[in-house]
This record gives sequence, C-alpha cells and structure tokens, in this order.
Amino acid sequence: MREYVRMRNYLKDYLRIYAGNYRIKPPQIIILIFLLTLLILARVLEMDLVILFNESLVKLVMNGVLVLSLLPMLNAGAGMNFGMPVGITGGLVALCISVNFRLTGFTGFFMSLLLSLVVCGLFGWVYGLLLNRVKGREEIAGTFIGFSIIPLMNYFWTLAPFQNRQMLYPIGGQGLRPKISLDPYFSKVLDNFCLLKIGGFDIPLGLFAFYALICLFLYLFFRTRIGRATLAVGENEAFARLSGIDIAKIRLIAIALSTMLAGIGICVYAQSYGFIQLYDEPLSMAFPAISAVLIGGSTGRRAWIFEAVLGTYLLQTIYLLTVPLANEILIPELTEILRTFITYSIILYALLYRNRRGIVH
Amino acid sequence: MEKILEIKNLSKSYNGIPALKNVSISVRAGEIHGIVGANGSGKSTLMNIISGNPVIRETGGYQGEIIYRGSRLQVKNCAEIIRLGVGMVHQEFALIPDLTIGENIKLGREETCRFTDRLFGRKYSFIDRRRNNEIASQVLKRLGLDVDVGVKIIDLSTNTKQFVEIAREVARSDLKLLLLDEPTAVLSKSDALKLLEVLVGMSRGGLGILFISHRLEEVQYICDRVTVFRDGEVVSRYKKGEINVTKLAGDMVGHQVYKANAQKRSVKATPVLCFKKFSVKMPGEEIKSLDLTVYEGEILGLTGLSGHGKLALGYGLMGMYPVAGEVIFKGHKLDRMNARTNIMKGIYVLPDDRQALGILPEHSLAENIIFTGDQVKYLFSRNPLGFIDWKGAYGYVEQAVRDFEIKCSSPKQRVKELSGGNLQKVCIARALTVNPQLLFVAEPTRGIDIAAKEKILKMLIDINRSKGTTIVIATSELDELKRVCDRIAVLVKGRVFKILYPDSPDLEFGLALAGEEGANYEGIRQDEELPEGLPEDLCG
Repeated sequence: MREYVRMRNYLKDYLRIYAGNYRIKPPQIIILIFLLTLLILARVLEMDLVILFNESLVKLVMNGVLVLSLLPMLNAGAGMNFGMPVGITGGLVALCISVNFRLTGFTGFFMSLLLSLVVCGLFGWVYGLLLNRVKGREEIAGTFIGFSIIPLMNYFWTLAPFQNRQMLYPIGGQGLRPKISLDPYFSKVLDNFCLLKIGGFDIPLGLFAFYALICLFLYLFFRTRIGRATLAVGENEAFARLSGIDIAKIRLIAIALSTMLAGIGICVYAQSYGFIQLYDEPLSMAFPAISAVLIGGSTGRRAWIFEAVLGTYLLQTIYLLTVPLANEILIPELTEILRTFITYSIILYALLYRNRRGIVH
Repeated sequence: MEKILEIKNLSKSYNGIPALKNVSISVRAGEIHGIVGANGSGKSTLMNIISGNPVIRETGGYQGEIIYRGSRLQVKNCAEIIRLGVGMVHQEFALIPDLTIGENIKLGREETCRFTDRLFGRKYSFIDRRRNNEIASQVLKRLGLDVDVGVKIIDLSTNTKQFVEIAREVARSDLKLLLLDEPTAVLSKSDALKLLEVLVGMSRGGLGILFISHRLEEVQYICDRVTVFRDGEVVSRYKKGEINVTKLAGDMVGHQVYKANAQKRSVKATPVLCFKKFSVKMPGEEIKSLDLTVYEGEILGLTGLSGHGKLALGYGLMGMYPVAGEVIFKGHKLDRMNARTNIMKGIYVLPDDRQALGILPEHSLAENIIFTGDQVKYLFSRNPLGFIDWKGAYGYVEQAVRDFEIKCSSPKQRVKELSGGNLQKVCIARALTVNPQLLFVAEPTRGIDIAAKEKILKMLIDINRSKGTTIVIATSELDELKRVCDRIAVLVKGRVFKILYPDSPDLEFGLALAGEEGANYEGIRQDEELPEGLPEDLCG
C-alpha cells in the first residue's frame, strides 16, 4: 500500500514537472481505459491497426482546430462556446464563395481561410456584443444563438445567388445542396500536402504543420499583452477591472478570435472530409469539440493547448475505433448511438463536476 | 478529566514542504484549548486534518495519530466528522444567504410535525417552522443576540452572521468538540467579548473547545491552556495563569515584535486631491456628498464604523461603483472615474478584499506583481505586441521579493499558496510598479498576524517617506492609524464628520466615530465618563 502511494506520488511529480500543472482526473482515466479496451478488442479481431493509426492522425487535425477555437473564449471567462455554429456558418459562407468561383487547390483553400477570417470576424463581433450583455450566462445564451443562426442561414443557403451548378440543387437550379462535394476543388489539399510514407504509415506533415501553426499562434496570443489580460479577466474579473482593464473589449476580442478560429476550423474539416455540409449540420458540431477539451482535462473554466490537443486525439480515436468494432461485434447502428452518448455524457459530467466545485469552495 | 481529542506526533507536508512537524496536543472535556501562531505556522493545516478536509488526502495524507474519544480517528470527509459530534466554525461564512436565520441554524436538523412523520416518514415530513424558529431564537438569546430569526442571512451584517454561524453549532445537542478558526476576526471588540463569554459558558457544560485566534488578549482571557505554533512546530505551552500576551507574541514570532511608528511631522497643506460633494453608491458602504482634501505627501487615515463609507472612496475613484460629484487631482478635474486613466494619472487603489479583488490566484507571484505595470503602463516589454521581457521582469520581481521580504519558494510560485501577509506585500509591490503619486489602501492589515502587520505598516511609512507618495489608509484599526498617519478623517454616514490628529485624545475619537459632536473638547475633561450607549471598543 505504501509502495503504491509512493509510486503514485512519484508519477504525479513526474507529470507535474513534464506537463506543467497537469493532473489526471476521473474522465481521462475512464476514457483511457475505454480506449485501451477498444485497442485490445481491435487487436483480437485482427483489424489493421496501422490504417486506424493513420486515420487517427488525420482526425486529430480535422477536428483539432475546432477544439482549439474554444480556448480564447474559455480562458476569457466567457464559458464553453456552445455558440460555435456562429463561427462555423461563417466559415461555410467563405467556403461556398470559394467554390462558387471554382477556386481549386491551395488557392481555393487559402481563399476560404481568408474569407472566413473576414466573415467570422464580423459574425464574432456581433456575437461578442450579444454575449457581453448576458454576462455569466454565456453558455446557455450561446446555445440559443447557435440554434437561431441555423434557420437564419438556411434562408441564406436557399436564396443566396450562387452560380456554380455543382453547388446547386440539380433540379430547379436554385438553392445550395445540403452536401457539396469538394472533389473538383480543394478536397484533401492539406491532407496530401507533404504526406510522408514510411512502411504502412502515412504521416500528413503538411496537415500537422498547419495545426502546429494554429497552436503556435494561440501560444503566442496568450503571451501578448492582450492575451495576458484575457487570462486575467477569465480568472478574476473584479481584479482585472480594478487594474484598469477594459473587460468588455477584452471579452469581445476573445469571442471574435474564437469565432474566427472556428471558421478556420470548419475549412480544415471540410477539406479533410471532402464535403461542405450546410443547413442543420453545424448545429451539433460544437458538442464533440467541447467534449474533447473536457476530456483533455479542462474543468470548463480554463483550458490549455496541451489539453485541447490531447482531448481531441483521445476522443477522435475512440470515435474511430468504435465504428469498425461496432460493425464487427454489434449492430452497426450502435456506433452513432455510442458516439452521441460519449459526447453528451462528458459534457454533462463536466457541468456536474464544475457546479459541485462551486459549492464546496 | 476525559480527553476528547488527543493528537500524537502529527506531521504533514505539502509537496515536500513541511507544514506540521511532530505536533502533539490534547483537548479535555470542559476545556478551552487555545492555539496561536503567525500566519503560515500550521494552524489551518491542523484544522483541516481534524475536520477531514479532502485537501489533506489529495496531498498525500498525514503521519501521526489522532484519537477522538478513545478511538482512532479516520475520517474521509467533513460530513463524517460532523456526525461524530464535532462542530466547526470557519473564518469564512458557510451560511446560505437566501434562507432565514432560523432556517440556517436548523438546517439539516429541522423539527418536523409528528403527524406527518408517521404519515410520510421523517424524511418527507412537514417542517414545523414555528418550533424551529423558537429553538433558533432561544439559542441566539443564549448567545446574547436579540434578532428576528425570520430575517434572511443576506441582509445581515458581518457581526450577526458570525453569531448565526456559531449558533448553528451551538444548537446541536450532540456536540462534543468545537473547533473555532478565528471566530472573532470579523467582530468588534464588544461583540467578541459577548461571544467569548458564551464560549466559556459552553465549556463549563463539558464541551471541549479548540480555539484559534490572532487576538492574544482573548486567548489570555478565556483559554485554560495555550499551545503556540511556529513554522509548524509547537514552541511553547502555557497553562491558565501563566498565559501572558507579551510572552505569547514573543513565542509566535520568535523575536521581539517591532512596532511600526511614524515620526511626527507637519505636512504642508498643498492639496493633491479634492473631493467635492462626492458620492459613491457602494452597497452597504455608501458615501454621500463628501468633502475632503488630501494634502501632498501626507498619510491620511480614514476611519469609521463599518457601513459608514470608509472603503468606498478608493473603489469610487476606480469606477467600480457609480459615483457623483467632483474630484480634482493636482488641479485638474477627473471627468471620468476609469481605473485605467486614473492609474495612468498616478492614483492606485489596493482593495480590502485581497482574495477577491487583489490577486490572480492561479497566476505566479511574478505575474501578479508585474500585472498592472505591464497592462497599463506597458512596462516589462519592449515590442508592440507586448511579449514580456522575462529576464528584466524576474530581475524586478526578485528585487521586490528581497526588498519586501516576501516569503515564497520562487517568483514562479502560484500566488494562492502564499499567506495573507505575503499576499498584501505582493499587492503593495504591484502598486509600486506603476509608481503612484497617490495610493489608497483599504484594510491593509486585516487577517494578518502581528509580525507581518507591523512590517506592512512600516512598508507604507517607508514608501511615503522615501518616494513622497501620498497615502490614504482606510481601516477600522484606530491604533494603527494613530501610529502611522498625519491626519485621521472620521467618516460618519458617508461624510467626513471630523478630522483629527494622531495625538487627539481617545475620547474624541470615540465621540467622532459615534457621530457625537464633542463641540469643544476643552470643555470635557479626560477622566470624564463616556456618554451612555457608546460602544466601548471605539475608545481604544
């Protein structure tokens, strides 16, 4: 017993030193156990683990930027961004414009990024103004802002004067299709850029470089003066106000930044996935992202880049493994059920955990 | 006499830093055992261990033995220890603000109607509100407090809240041991006295009490035995009769306490800050059309009973609450009460509530010290984006740590791990980075042990003398103001009632605080009796 405690303490110290103040909490333990079970099962069922590993790398970045987009808002004390659909629809508008002009390859992709920065900057600014008026209830307000922007944008998708026939409904020729293929334009343009093949392993270096760039940007952002003010506002708003910080401005910047990153995130997602998904699709995209950052060890009050990356990888790998496994040993429909169950129960856990802390301390 | 609690060779360390070393104490039935020690001497750790606070287990448990009424104590959480008959009163309030006094006192132990007891079982039975309130008000009367038990906690003053908190523990019939963590810290002296008498009465009835306090006179007054802690060790023990305030103080700090004292001097009456018909709408501390002039280079004290507005002045200047009226700083009118612009102009405010307003708990010591300088005056960075020049910043912080003797393991230590006195030093160090000409300090010594208290007062005097910073100290500690200030303004009902001097007689302070016009005090002889109804603690 004493040995065990000593070992545990040693392990904790080790983690503290090498991962900052990182501490393993129950959700990570559960997820890790789950992941290990899945891996063992996959091995027993003789699945090709190399292919699964390759896919997991792509999935990490595909969803990773969306998860990273939560950080500025979370650390500014504006809560988990349940209103992520705002940023996502902004990014979708940008993607549609690029496709409308038939931009291909990197031109198309970077044009979408640029446009989404513009569109999401605008969206984020309005979204920030709204959230500043509902301080303390950002999460629930964000959820409903997300819910209400979807039908609004549905009008836009059907009525906007897009010209590219490949985007429009084949019959009638008006209104965008729910699923627009990016194949002729910039599908997998990042995935296949600098793809390193070693044996059976495919390492998407270009994709990783892009992801690393976003991480680096956030890392540097939190070290700028505004970034430091953002952290301070999130941690102790009264203190920040007394120290002469313009709370509303800082929150606005953080929320706009989160929205812009969400826009970039959906561009990366779409090029990996190969399709632009419109209409009600963005509605549920916030939840896996929030779930990921929570699995990474965030308490839902603040989060670090490391937590976001770790959480995304764990969650996405689980998603990835459940598909073939469920197909093999259970009924195939179970996959989607399992995914949804994991996603939502983790958010629920975080909410429970956070509120309990609030009462105790 | 039966030993209720016996602690043998208790040791505890956090991350390898010892907090308690081989501590042994015991509490007998019917005894009040006092524990005194400076901040960071291990008193709170001891409390946390006995009360089963999960923090202890999370940080690796403790070594040693705790025997409670004959059997070894092994509790996993606070609820268990409460079931065993131990009551706790913490420094911070654990009351539910939206419930009434009566409901709070009987919370979880409500009397229920007998009829519905049988009908639905005790758990779902109706609460007999009348009987609850009766019992609650009886308990409060026993504590010498006459207040309507139907009032909500949120509407009570700090004093009354503390009494309700104690009443809740007293109301328990199964109480065997009571742990009190600085129960009188927020009370005025007369209220504290009332409370102490109740405690003595309770201990006569066979209750064991473990009493932690900073106020040494109280310890001398009520304790049967006293144990003095220093740096996690027991340094001395005294029995009733041997207890002596100076000896306790000496043991606590390990050396003679130096009392900060400012040289008397006369300050030229050049105004640096003028308030004209200034009002601040701070709930519970309102200022109403106040006129006050602060002279350049002086230390001005602001005092008054709680609720009369002494804390609101600084917050008002920083735009934390709505204000009205006019403020003239160095000949120019301040047209907007905005923290940023006012800090730029040279005004800085240190809050009274350090935990809530004074620090970024999760940030490091260094980040806390440089925060305002960095954010407002763009110090410590040399590029437009504001990346910090850490070499320069750490150099500055290390200098500050040395100058102010801030006890920390390194400038990277998280600030929430520091003790109250050190936190205050961090706050002052932060203020000095922006080099203010006018510094407002609210309750600078609240919740800080004596040795650190004097150091902080001395720091303030030094800053004033060496840098010429004008300092305004708002506090209820009259004795400290008298030692430090050049002038002392007494606030009554949100206005300056009178401006007195450190050498003004105590009687006059007392009268001013109570809002009594002592018109010409030459007429009142020093030995004359105080007017009736005047709280005695006001007269020092």
